[in-house]
Amino acid sequence: MTQAEIKLCSLLLQEHFGEIVEKIGVRLIRTGSQPLRVIAHDTGTSLDQVKKALCVLAQHNLVSYQVHKRGVVEYEAQCSRVLRMLRYPRYIYTTKTLYSDTGELIVEELLLNGKLTMSAVVKKVADRLTETMEDGKTMDYAEVSNTFVRLADTHFVQRCPSVPTTENSDPGPPPPAPTLVINEKDMYLVPKLSLIGKGKRRRSSDEDAAGEPKAKRPKYTTDNKEPIPDDGIYWQANLDRFHQHFRDQAIVSAVANRMDQTSSEIVRTMLRMSEITTSSSAPFTQPLSSNEIFRSLPVGYNISKQVLDQYLTLLADDPLEFVGKSGDSGGGMYVINLHKALASLATATLESVVQERFGSRCARIFRLVLEKKHIEQKQVEDFAMIPAKEAKDMLYKMLSENFMSLQEIPKTPDHAPSRTFYLYTVNILSAARMLLHRCYKSIANLIERRQFETKENKRLLEKSQRVEAIIASMQATGAEEAQLQEIEEMITAPERQQLETLKRNVNKLDASEIQVDETIFLLESYIECTMKRQ
Amino acid sequence: MAGNKGRGRAAYTFNIEAVGFSKGEKLPDVVLKPPPLFPDTDYKPVPLKTGEGEEYMLALKQELRETMKRMPYFIETPEERQDIERYSKRYMKVYKEEWIPAGPKPKKAKDAGKGTPLTNTEDVLKKMEELEKRGDGEKSDEENEEKEGSKEKSKEGDDDDDDDAAEQEEYDEEEQEEENDYINSYFEDGDDFGADSDDNMDEATY
Repeated sequence: MTQAEIKLCSLLLQEHFGEIVEKIGVRLIRTGSQPLRVIAHDTGTSLDQVKKALCVLAQHNLVSYQVHKRGVVEYEAQCSRVLRMLRYPRYIYTTKTLYSDTGELIVEELLLNGKLTMSAVVKKVADRLTETMEDGKTMDYAEVSNTFVRLADTHFVQRCPSVPTTENSDPGPPPPAPTLVINEKDMYLVPKLSLIGKGKRRRSSDEDAAGEPKAKRPKYTTDNKEPIPDDGIYWQANLDRFHQHFRDQAIVSAVANRMDQTSSEIVRTMLRMSEITTSSSAPFTQPLSSNEIFRSLPVGYNISKQVLDQYLTLLADDPLEFVGKSGDSGGGMYVINLHKALASLATATLESVVQERFGSRCARIFRLVLEKKHIEQKQVEDFAMIPAKEAKDMLYKMLSENFMSLQEIPKTPDHAPSRTFYLYTVNILSAARMLLHRCYKSIANLIERRQFETKENKRLLEKSQRVEAIIASMQATGAEEAQLQEIEEMITAPERQQLETLKRNVNKLDASEIQVDETIFLLESYIECTMKRQ
Repeated sequence: MAGNKGRGRAAYTFNIEAVGFSKGEKLPDVVLKPPPLFPDTDYKPVPLKTGEGEEYMLALKQELRETMKRMPYFIETPEERQDIERYSKRYMKVYKEEWIPAGPKPKKAKDAGKGTPLTNTEDVLKKMEELEKRGDGEKSDEENEEKEGSKEKSKEGDDDDDDDAAEQEEYDEEEQEEENDYINSYFEDGDDFGADSDDNMDEATY
């Protein structure tokens, strides 16, 4: 794990789970797998706290454990999973577009809680939906269950590995930690539950119970103590499926940008047809015949078979090679080259970064070197039609920023510089890694800056929150306009200005984080699929 | 490193043309300090994407941040005890659910743990005295092994977790079962071990 990644993980853990969990998590990420006592000793925290922190991390699938010889249990942190926390808003929003509010809340609850049983999810979501509905209306459990089943069928949620039930329990002592297993077939199997009920609206008296004695609260939360029918079957969000969806989205929009709407629809249809048949790490989808594609096109699209064939031929001939032709039966068998598509997307990202950082001339040189693979300095000047001095300057700038590398080819065995060829080349994999590292650093900087801005204006923020609370309570009890005006004037105009600026800055920083994460997704997918291929 | 510095200008070992400087041209200044921390860029960054989706995700992100702080998984750092308990603190306590991972909680251990706080402290005191005599090193290693096994047994499971009391109970119990020559019950409560003066030691201490 690079320093940048560790720093980013530390910031994320701290923001989401607090300092103690952050300390334990970062310790594990830094030093690999460790047993419980060693963690407690090294971090100087009490055993109790370490256990609590590990519970939280394990609940959210951020830490896994393994039993080693001699009964020692070692805990290991999953750094890449911690970085996924950046992407939670994207997952939730995607579910909203696919399954509307119910699906969105289901996935949100699963992400916030790590693992939940289906009955718990349904209850929570129904309650939340009921709150937003008009008075008198409630959300039925059945509807929420249906959406849950649909999510499971399309593999967006999956079961967590669980303790295996052993029929013949050997009389020996139980192992220090159980090994969790999950059967492939059972991963998306929804238990047969008859969840009957309606969402409960939270009593309004509870909401302004700020000063109420604690005794009242616990009574509400431990409402029903009946046994849960699906105890032991926990569900989690299937992040890989979401990633597959994002990848498909990226490919479709790339085709739409390059060609037109119709071709992107055709590619989308092809991808939809191969969702179930192709594994997420396959280099290309299963071959689809043109006839099949024609039958599966969305209902609104009425293009003739000939037009479809023309489009497919165009797509297959495109130099980017998103679509390839693998045979002639059935009107032509076509595949989508997923790995090539990801490579093109990563390359396009690199080109775009070079263009925005160094200018369009640099971008031209970069694209030239990409095309020619290895090229000498003199040839760059000639091919790119850029004056020698500028071309040299740009090449060296890109070289110093590690977008390019030099390949030496000696003419003589003594490697004399005057008698050696120096060829410029772009190694896409290493450039992508470099850019990814930079992205991690950027997000860490963005988060730090946002925290700094918030801390600077903490006093002002608290004041404005208090004023809002006062206004809200006064409005609830019915106050006159004049009184409200008076309270509002507690915040002076320059303070208001400051708050506005703060809000704008924080929004900008947050939005930037989300966007950098999109780049991270593309680069990570590319690197992952290239590594798998090798 | 004599070189040829004495005989006129330095001669390069390679063809200077290849790097891009013509013969006799003034070389650029030597860089004496690191580049500035925030250099001016010629090209300003492209504005952020805007749209319904992006705005929704932004609102979601900020909401999630707030929600996570209120969840039971957010473990607050225990504040240091202040000398004077502030009056307002009582009314600013935020209510948070206590989250204990799902799993069977053995009732017996909990009661047993609550019932013997006295012996626990007594044992701890005895242990401290023994430690003073023997030194830390030898004990920790062997204890680690046995404690690992039993601790994990009691702690782990499919999101199992025994109560803290039970853990404390087992923890202390394990500590007491040391392989040493001292019988735990040998010392009565109230005996000061080694605190008596050793001036007139006619009889041995038991």
